[in-house]
Amino acid sequence: MPAELVLEARGLVKDYRRTRAVDGIDVLVGAGERVALLGPNGAGKTTTLLMILGVVAPDAGAIAICGIDLARHRSRAAEQVGFAAGYLPLTERMRVREYLRLYGQLYGIADPGPRIDEGLERFRVTHLADAMGTELSSGQRTLIGIVRSTLHRPRLLVLDEPTASLDPDVALRVREGLIEIAENEGTALLMTSHDMTDVDHVCERVLFLSAGRIVADGTPESIAASYGRGNLEGVFLHLAGNHEASATQQSDHP
Amino acid sequence: MTAPVTVELSPRARSWLRMRAIARRHAYVLVRSPHRLFDVTLWPLVDVVLFGSLAAFVGTSGTSGTAKASGYLLAGIVLWHVIYQSQISLSTGFLEETWTRNLLNMMVTPVREVEYVAGVALFGMVKMVMGIGVMVLGALAFFSFHAWSLGFGLIPIAVTLLIVGWAISLFVIGLVLRFGTGAEALAWGVMFVLLPLSGVFYPTKALPTVMQPLALALPTTHAFSALRGLVDKHGLNWTQVSIAGAGSVAMLLLAAWFLVAMLTMFRRRGYITRYT
Repeated sequence: MPAELVLEARGLVKDYRRTRAVDGIDVLVGAGERVALLGPNGAGKTTTLLMILGVVAPDAGAIAICGIDLARHRSRAAEQVGFAAGYLPLTERMRVREYLRLYGQLYGIADPGPRIDEGLERFRVTHLADAMGTELSSGQRTLIGIVRSTLHRPRLLVLDEPTASLDPDVALRVREGLIEIAENEGTALLMTSHDMTDVDHVCERVLFLSAGRIVADGTPESIAASYGRGNLEGVFLHLAGNHEASATQQSDHP
Repeated sequence: MTAPVTVELSPRARSWLRMRAIARRHAYVLVRSPHRLFDVTLWPLVDVVLFGSLAAFVGTSGTSGTAKASGYLLAGIVLWHVIYQSQISLSTGFLEETWTRNLLNMMVTPVREVEYVAGVALFGMVKMVMGIGVMVLGALAFFSFHAWSLGFGLIPIAVTLLIVGWAISLFVIGLVLRFGTGAEALAWGVMFVLLPLSGVFYPTKALPTVMQPLALALPTTHAFSALRGLVDKHGLNWTQVSIAGAGSVAMLLLAAWFLVAMLTMFRRRGYITRYT
């Protein structure tokens, strides 16, 4: 177990009507650790992330971010977390710099200008600073979303499909940026992805979810070996097959 | 456990910073969507022309009763827009997040619910001042109606109506959280239930008898009754204003409780997936 826990989620349970989306899982992430949350569609990944972000309330279990109880002090806990997802839009009718300034201030940064410049530079998108959000491609929006999520130097960065819809070169830039943030700033990463290249490159630990339960927890190599597969993709396909067969009623959404 | 990151500002300063950021975000929405100016410029002007013309027509009869009615119409529509603007700006401020699928972005930030509402309401007050300004100027230019001739008594009445507008919008936001964007029609519809019942343009004894008890239970009825006292040059009826003030605060507290209950349900049932 990591010595310094940034995320401590224990016994999480979430039911949607008669479906159990998440079934008593523990998610512990240490400072600077890079963890992937994998699993087939409907395994409970997004629900788990939404609980960790404080947007969905767990039916049982407790979540602490940097030791701050999320249920009791959501705002203080949220200051320690950044979130980006490939599917999230940019706030409309704002230029990129205005948008980043807005979110910097929502995270309590009085003058976010220098951090905006630093973030845009890190992901090599300084040329987009004055563009309107609606002028950006989906890949560019994703990059700006990641810049936004790191402005306040979060202790925990939660990413849902961060490289979805990105070209391979841009996806590489994202992976490099994320590793740099984790290594230089001690930010812990918790990410979902269906791209095993992301996981292999970025993450040092993998949690496999199936039907709301964690069925494997370890390094990508150790998990692949324990399932007798050559790589994570093989494990994913194996577990997805089991999931389809045993949990056709399960859904990630209410 | 790791220590939380050092933050630059005090909690109070961060809270104020977040409220201002939310207000500025909505300022961008208004400035960069000219059609949104309809609510704060054209609509008030249409109303003042409509009700001012009606007042002018009624006033031509020359009797004291009709002269009174014309004053009621113009003063009533100007003050009605205090509720309308405060309600619509807060409701549509929140709906903007749902229309642009920005709700998840907003909900994962440290912004507290009260900060969000305060930020939107802050900019809503700017919109309200714009809208009322247009009406007052329109009434003066087209009908020689000096709204400020009613005196400082207008201020407590306007504050009461402002609070009622916020209360209605919190209620509407609660319904949207619970039932989804289908409930957003209420943002506009609820107002027009209140309009006839509150006696905005006439004493509530003109209402059908069966509706009068309901009208008396509304704080807006007492606010507009106090307004008519000003139009009639009877001075400010503090009893009516006090009832309206207490009623509007009670309404606001009830609406806030309802919103918190709906937000709790929203989180418990995972309704955020409707907006992602």
